[in-house]
Amino acid sequence: MATAFFELRGISKYFAKVIANQDVSFSIQRGEVLALLGENGAGKSTIMKILYGLYKADEGKLLKDGREIKIDSPKEAMELGISMIQQHFSLVPAHTVTDNIILGNVHGIIDHKLFREEIKRLAELYGFELNPDDFIRDLAVGVQQKVEILKALYQKTNLLIMDEPTAVLTPQEAENLMGFVRDFTAQGNSVIFITHKLKEVMSVADRIIVMRAGRVFGDIKRAETNELELSKLMIGRDLNWVTKEDRQESIDQEVRLEIQQVTLQEKTGVPALKDISLTLHKGEILGIAGVSGNGQQELCEIVCGAILPTKGKILLDGEDITERKIRARIDLGIGYVPADRSSDGMIMDMSIAENMLLKSSYAKKWQKRGFIDKQKLNQYTWQEIQDYSIKAPSPETIARGLSGGNQQKVVLAREVDNGEKVIVFDQPTRGLDLGAVNHVHQVILQERAKGKSVLLVSTELAEIFALSDRIAILYKGEIQGVFNSAELTTEKIGLLMAGFREREVKSDAG
Amino acid sequence: MINLLSRTIMMGTPLLFGALAEVIAERTGMMVTAIEGIFLMGAWAGFVGGYLSGSLIVGFLSAMLAGLLVAGLYGWICIYLKQHQVVTGVAINLLVAGLCSFLYRVIFGVPITPLTVSPLATIPIPLLSEIPLLGPILFNQTILTYIIYFLAPLSYFMLYKTSMGLTIRSAGENPEAVDVAGINVLTVRFLTVLLAGVMGGVAGAFYSIGFLGMFTTNIIGGRGWIAFAICFLGNWNPKGAVIGTLAFGFAEAIAIYMQSIGNSALFPNELFIALPYIMTIVLTISRKSFNVPAKLGVPYLKEN
Ligand SMILES: Nc1ncnc2c1ncn2[C@@H]1O[C@H](COP(=O)(O)OP(=O)(O)O)[C@@H](O)[C@H]1O
Ligand SMILES: [Mg+2]
Repeated sequence: MATAFFELRGISKYFAKVIANQDVSFSIQRGEVLALLGENGAGKSTIMKILYGLYKADEGKLLKDGREIKIDSPKEAMELGISMIQQHFSLVPAHTVTDNIILGNVHGIIDHKLFREEIKRLAELYGFELNPDDFIRDLAVGVQQKVEILKALYQKTNLLIMDEPTAVLTPQEAENLMGFVRDFTAQGNSVIFITHKLKEVMSVADRIIVMRAGRVFGDIKRAETNELELSKLMIGRDLNWVTKEDRQESIDQEVRLEIQQVTLQEKTGVPALKDISLTLHKGEILGIAGVSGNGQQELCEIVCGAILPTKGKILLDGEDITERKIRARIDLGIGYVPADRSSDGMIMDMSIAENMLLKSSYAKKWQKRGFIDKQKLNQYTWQEIQDYSIKAPSPETIARGLSGGNQQKVVLAREVDNGEKVIVFDQPTRGLDLGAVNHVHQVILQERAKGKSVLLVSTELAEIFALSDRIAILYKGEIQGVFNSAELTTEKIGLLMAGFREREVKSDAG
Repeated sequence: MINLLSRTIMMGTPLLFGALAEVIAERTGMMVTAIEGIFLMGAWAGFVGGYLSGSLIVGFLSAMLAGLLVAGLYGWICIYLKQHQVVTGVAINLLVAGLCSFLYRVIFGVPITPLTVSPLATIPIPLLSEIPLLGPILFNQTILTYIIYFLAPLSYFMLYKTSMGLTIRSAGENPEAVDVAGINVLTVRFLTVLLAGVMGGVAGAFYSIGFLGMFTTNIIGGRGWIAFAICFLGNWNPKGAVIGTLAFGFAEAIAIYMQSIGNSALFPNELFIALPYIMTIVLTISRKSFNVPAKLGVPYLKEN
């Protein structure tokens, strides 16, 4: 076997008490696409940040072409031909494409014209449609990713590391990206592709490194494995997956929540939501699919009352609740699990019990002679901890100390109780490991079985398909169509998410 | 009138030194809330250095060093110890105020008549100062004003046309981007804070040895904060800072003028003294669009 292009040998990395990587060893050849597969928290990002010089390994060494090397900063990594596109892009929104690409790559006085031309040529070479003068803040995420890739190409990268690059893309955009990866490696370059999606791994990788709990659990050629084996390696046990069979056959025809021609005008003048009409029945899960940032959060906040629509009406059980504020809507039985639990869902420095109380602190049931009834609250919280199998020693445990999955369960427990009629879930499984994802899915199905109505916003199509009775697609604040989930295919939904209208999609397919 | 406008330029000079310093530092995400203290320390050190050595040059060099030290303390606490920028700045300002009056007494005791040095002389530029109207306003000033004529466009050029400027601006908008590009964010921030300290020190020394020729503990009287305000009224841009400075310099010139003619029958003199401060409040609340650096005031945390 030829000497590896890059090799990691026995790398370990500790963050205080957390073991992020333990004795990780693998190599990458020239011209190879290596997939780094693992659940959230498996240590994929950390090991790659070590190779890119952002973190320092506590143990182990790095080799290039068989010789030991030191990489102490991204600068040194770049000099060795390594580039890394972070999971959360590191672009400056207020600057232009050109300024972002040349940051750190220029010295002295900047000849803007020269760089603009250079970048334009490079973009054309790879068939990227990009205007070097556009501001990043005006670009869709898919385009922003191209800027990141171009930045790497500009630095003459031979090893491109991409951290969960498809998380923000439509299926078609993801397919284009795979195309780029194949072309790029065909020229003798290497790509490390971090992901937790099995499908992508099977479609693009030459070899797969499976990571779990900071360690390598498999180093396999794609041709010699399958999705089932990979998922077992990744999770370490079998999971009872929610499948299409869990879908219910008939939906109750009784209407619970009605959104009538709702428009939300932003300060800048562009509507964040445009003429939205949706109906949610009793005991129904309505999935909202779409690439993130297309009005999902606004839609959720309109339903739970955090913002009021500019135009249109919202009815709950036939009653007009358009003007009701958040508190009134909580009392009416609308629960909301926000996408960003750390900023919108809980207070990290408070205990689990206090977080339980967060949305109903004024309620009489928690009070005893004007003070909080600690005993009752703790009892209630303890019950919830049991019911949702939250891994916490007591109701007094501070939320920050819990893992992401357990924090989400706390929010879930509270909102499921708040939402006696309607529960809005915005990306309820984002950033959770598969075990926790599974738990959240089970909870959603249980609540539906109790006759509650669920609005499920997710950017994970698999999740939408597995749970929803009906699916609406949101694009630039507009509903592209509402479908029974059996009517939709991944391809069709992908086109709708990319902005094509139902008519166009049909004629395309025909 | 010419006198008034000439005064505007003169009184605007230290403000622009401070405001440019603040613009550059804030673009990296560092609010230099210690600016008032830096001014005061500069005024003190400038006077002490100048008085003891008999040389204004030594005075200004001491002021730069003093500003550098105060800024260094502030930067170290905020950037490396990740403490809150406003709290740290206020604490340092209080510390400096106490320190200056204490050290002044330690060195000079309590003199019966205030100690003085002869302040910076104006240098009329040959030919240019003879241009009617503009000449005496713009070209009959102290050396500091001439320096700022260069520094203002230079700082604009640096921020928008050089790689250093791009790095500085990026550090305040998205420090991760700078980090990932292989540049040390903390170093960038610390260096700009030090630069702000040097410039702020000069600005402070203007009041003691560039203009009054003496030092009192309330000599700065909030002008550091005015420079701070000019920075954000000027939209974190050297051009805006120049415009803001002219407005404040003019307000201050009027205040001094009214004081000198002593016509307090019409308007109470205090009103004019308060004018720059009133203007700060009015302009602040009437401002609409902000171009504030996204990560202004946010410490950059990175584990490794
Ligand atoms: N900067 C950090 N400080 C402390 N802990 C961290 C840090 N980065 C990652 N970790 C922890 O290390 C583990 C691995 O994280 P990460 O590499 O991001 O996983 P992945 O990318 O596979 O989702 C997790 O438990 C995470 O909480
Ligand atoms: Mg990761």
